[in-house]
Amino acid sequence: MLSTIALDTQVLRPGLCTGCGACQGLCPYWGSVDGRTVCFFDCERTDGRCQRFCPRMPTDLDALRKQFFPEDTILPEIGPFRGLYLTRAADESIRAKAQHGGSMTALVELALKEGFLDAAVLTRSRGGLNPEGVLATTPEEVRACSGSSFQVPPTLAVLNQALKENKYHSIGVAGTPCKTLAVYKMKANPLPENDNHAGNIGMVFGLFCGWGLDWDGLNALAAKHADPAKVSHMDIPPSKYHSLELREDGETVSVNLDEVTPLVRSGCRYCADMTAEFADLSIGGARSADGWDVDKGWNQIIVRSEKGQQLLDLAREKGVLEFKDAMEGGLEKLKKASLGKKRTAVRNLRELTGRPDDLGYLNPNRELFQDL
Amino acid sequence: MTANAPGQVCLMQGNEAIVRGAVEAGINFAASYPGSPSSQVLGMLGKIARERGFYAEWSTNEVCALQACTGASLANGRALCVVKQNGLLCTADALHCAAQAGVKGGLVIVSSDDPSAHSSTNEFDSRWQAMSAGIPLLEPTTMQEAKDMIPYAFELSEKVGQLVLIRVTTRVCHGRGNVTLGPLPEKPRALERVREWDRMVCVSYMHGPALQKLESLRECFETSPCNHYEGPEAPKKLIIAGGTGRLYGQEALRRLGVDKETGFLSLGTLWPLPESYILKRLRSAEEVLILEEVDPFLERAVQALAGREGLRVKFLGRDNALPAVGELDPDVVTSAICALTGAALPEKKPTGELELPVREMSFCAGCPHRATFYLLKRAMRQEKHPGVVVGDIGCYFMAGQSAGQYAWQTCNCMGSGVNVAEGLGQLTNYGLDQKVVTMCGDSTFFHTILPGLVNATYHNANMLLIVLDNSATAMTGFQPHPGTGLTAMGDHVKPMDIPKILDAVGCKVEVADPFDVVEAEKTLRWMLDQPGMNVLIMRQPCATLMTKERSKKPVRVYVDQDVCIGDGCGCDKYCSRVWGCPGNTWDFKKNKALIDPVTCVGCGVCAKLCPSGAIKVEGGEEA
Ligand SMILES: Cc1cc2nc3c(=O)[nH]c(=O)nc-3n(C[C@H](O)[C@H](O)[C@H](O)COP(=O)(O)OP(=O)(O)OC[C@H]3O[C@@H](n4cnc5c(N)ncnc54)[C@H](O)[C@@H]3O)c2cc1C
Ligand SMILES: Cc1ncc(C[n+]2csc(CCOP(=O)(O)OP(=O)(O)O)c2C)c(N)n1
Ligand code: SF4
Ligand code: SF4
Ligand code: SF4
Ligand code: SF4
Repeated sequence: MLSTIALDTQVLRPGLCTGCGACQGLCPYWGSVDGRTVCFFDCERTDGRCQRFCPRMPTDLDALRKQFFPEDTILPEIGPFRGLYLTRAADESIRAKAQHGGSMTALVELALKEGFLDAAVLTRSRGGLNPEGVLATTPEEVRACSGSSFQVPPTLAVLNQALKENKYHSIGVAGTPCKTLAVYKMKANPLPENDNHAGNIGMVFGLFCGWGLDWDGLNALAAKHADPAKVSHMDIPPSKYHSLELREDGETVSVNLDEVTPLVRSGCRYCADMTAEFADLSIGGARSADGWDVDKGWNQIIVRSEKGQQLLDLAREKGVLEFKDAMEGGLEKLKKASLGKKRTAVRNLRELTGRPDDLGYLNPNRELFQDL
Repeated sequence: MTANAPGQVCLMQGNEAIVRGAVEAGINFAASYPGSPSSQVLGMLGKIARERGFYAEWSTNEVCALQACTGASLANGRALCVVKQNGLLCTADALHCAAQAGVKGGLVIVSSDDPSAHSSTNEFDSRWQAMSAGIPLLEPTTMQEAKDMIPYAFELSEKVGQLVLIRVTTRVCHGRGNVTLGPLPEKPRALERVREWDRMVCVSYMHGPALQKLESLRECFETSPCNHYEGPEAPKKLIIAGGTGRLYGQEALRRLGVDKETGFLSLGTLWPLPESYILKRLRSAEEVLILEEVDPFLERAVQALAGREGLRVKFLGRDNALPAVGELDPDVVTSAICALTGAALPEKKPTGELELPVREMSFCAGCPHRATFYLLKRAMRQEKHPGVVVGDIGCYFMAGQSAGQYAWQTCNCMGSGVNVAEGLGQLTNYGLDQKVVTMCGDSTFFHTILPGLVNATYHNANMLLIVLDNSATAMTGFQPHPGTGLTAMGDHVKPMDIPKILDAVGCKVEVADPFDVVEAEKTLRWMLDQPGMNVLIMRQPCATLMTKERSKKPVRVYVDQDVCIGDGCGCDKYCSRVWGCPGNTWDFKKNKALIDPVTCVGCGVCAKLCPSGAIKVEGGEEA
């Protein structure tokens, strides 16, 4: 099928698009406005990078992970697994601006310094509203990207452009699970005639992700509860709090989650990955017996690859990260939460296709998902 | 055109013959708004107006033109109004009122129809307007008749004090033929001061007298030199032809060898019908074929006549023997005549001509409209719900096709866009959740947009009007309009300033250059977000006007084929396939883009859009 029509009919119209940007920055046909993926004109190619990279085009996830990760490290619930850690950045100034423990910022910074990477594609969250993808090459630029935004910008468009320029040869990427999946598709399935220098992709840092929110919807919600210009941080505390927290001028404003859930991006409803299973390291908020007030300053990290392990070990060695003991049963809790997201995705996909045996883009691995 | 050489034979185009006819008629006044196929007439009249002592103008629209002619007539002037089919319909109110009021100096309207709509949006038949308004109607077939009918029409008009409509068609306007010139009057008709008790008014009690004028003309038409008959005294098979069908018919009759037994009645005076003249042949006829362009106008009238007289005649025409739509041609006329006469349909010789591939019409190379519609499509696609786009008439009518990225969903007639959009724009306050955009050219802006602009601004419709200001009435051949600072007679006058007009009306106005693609897109998107009535002027002269300018500083635009991605992923022939300038072509041997240096006018826009920077611009301003 023609590329633009394929994505339009199989991804955009059914509401599967994640807004990751993997289809963008490649050609004049695709762009994005406020998190909405836009097709400007029709492309008449029947094969192309947009189709190949899109994380919502059918993907054999099982084959993909076996291509990059030893089979014996793969856990069915959370993917490749070499260890679970509770960490935070040792540098207080990183923690002060970070989403949780600042582990992501600290690790990316370290990876740049130590030559694991020569550039990193990150997302500047801008306090949570109107984020944008950036190519960072200095510690300052990395730190400027601390903090999460629940709006999802097409950060991978920046990656595509950086790869096209071929100026950096080991480019790191941090992103939500949809984005990291797309990055692995880029690595695994380059277009023969134009690999877009996929070999220049360096390490991949995954973020845990429950869902992202509709761009305009979140802007309106923030404006309802605060002065958007003064919002510096947003987070979702554990489910028992049932809220979204906004930090406005240092004060915390709590918004009932019932106002938030209707704003969940349609594409996120079909996402079966909570822990960013395609990554060297995946980082999320900590969950421990110490409770939210402590946890919100810590991260949990899943190490998935050898390279990820090397970087984490180096961070320990250099004192860049502080570690604490993982919670008893923490892994089991994580698996349970991850499975929960997979089940929801499968249910929603069945509803979308109208057929119990049609799981849409997950069809190539139907047997892995249908009995969850 | 102005030679006083009676009897001299000249090869003339139909439009030229009309001009010559007007000069021979000694007109005092001519007014027109351009429209194919008669656009050239007023241009030529404007050039000779001073020499011949009359006034000629490109009016702002056809209503202005006809009503100005009515004014000239009141002062006993001979006035010629030239319009195309759609223009005649624009004048409907003015025409019907003038027909009730009558005229003093002769007033002749030449209305040109475009069967098969070669250079129009649609087919129309002007003749119904004559029937409806109750005015006499003539139709020439040859170039000679096209000339002769003009002075003849003026005489008729003055004889009964009524307007006369002359209907012409594309083949007459653009065809060529020999014309024997007539004498020129020494000077135009003498004007007369309008006296205190002169009256030319449209009031209901003038209806009766208007009908009487028509009746008195019927008598003239019974013996008019414009009508001819050839064939047996009492034909069984009869052809009645008005307009170009006549030539095809006469030729086919001879070719089929049935010209002796078939009656052929050619009518040049079509309304009111010369009934006795027709009945003389109709009474004996068993079968009648009517040949005419566009609608079954004569067919209906002659059918009614036959019915009234109780004749049993079988009619062939647009209802059965001829296609219901489209221009007549020798083939369809021949087969209709075979149906009438029983002659065997001659086998069609293979023409040996290559069937040319049908090529969609497109904007010229370097046309500013292409850039505007490219940007509009991008802007629309960036909207949360793609907007609705309302078209209008000008070169940009082509924007409905690939040339304009299939820009619009609806298009009516000149000046309609702003009003259709106003309707939609109002509904955006009632739940219609999309942006509303329309456009018009600068000529159309003055022609019929102004009242709609006032309406939409006054009622604060949420919409965007894009004025495609290419400093030209490009579609019909660069006639002056009020924005150009030129007149038909070659005078330089103060041009109307569109932004000032818009300011005075009170809508939001921005001006952008569509060739500055990045800035223009920003302005366009910004305007789309503004509530109320917004007008964006996209200003960049028509490519044809710029060719001269650019030839002073030649620009070479070429493709570096080593850099070009061609049909590879990352481009897929963006320049030739999406942008679509005729200058952007494809090198099938190398599978790379190519610029045709002959077609390219060097606007350089494609270079701004190429994703790989393969298109280079050399010379010109940038260098
Ligand atoms: C949409 C979204 C949903 C999330 N949901 C969960 C969840 O349910 N559970 C959980 O434990 N954690 C979730 N996270 C991750 C969490 O918010 C933190 O990013 C993570 O714990 C790392 O914290 P940190 O202090 O190390 O990050 P920091 O050091 O502050 O670094 C944050 C990094 O996140 C990246 N980033 C910010 N916004 C985005 C974005 N919109 N898209 C892609 N990358 C972005 C930046 O590039 C930056 O490098 C989510 C993150 C996002 C963006
Ligand atoms: C009532 C009427 N009169 C005349 C025409 C013939 N006509 C079609 S487009 C056009 C001129 C349009 O000029 P402009 O709006 O400036 O656009 P451009 O062609 O320059 O892009 C004319 C005179 C018509 N279609 N309808
Ligand atoms: S990425 Fe390639 S295939 Fe896809 S739209 Fe762009 S040019 Fe076409
Ligand atoms: S999911 Fe990503 S790659 Fe797929 S269409 Fe959406 S933005 Fe493009
Ligand atoms: S847009 Fe540029 S890269 Fe694409 S075909 Fe044309 S010249 Fe080549
Ligand atoms: S520069 Fe490009 S867009 Fe302009 S006329 Fe030449 S080929 Fe067409």
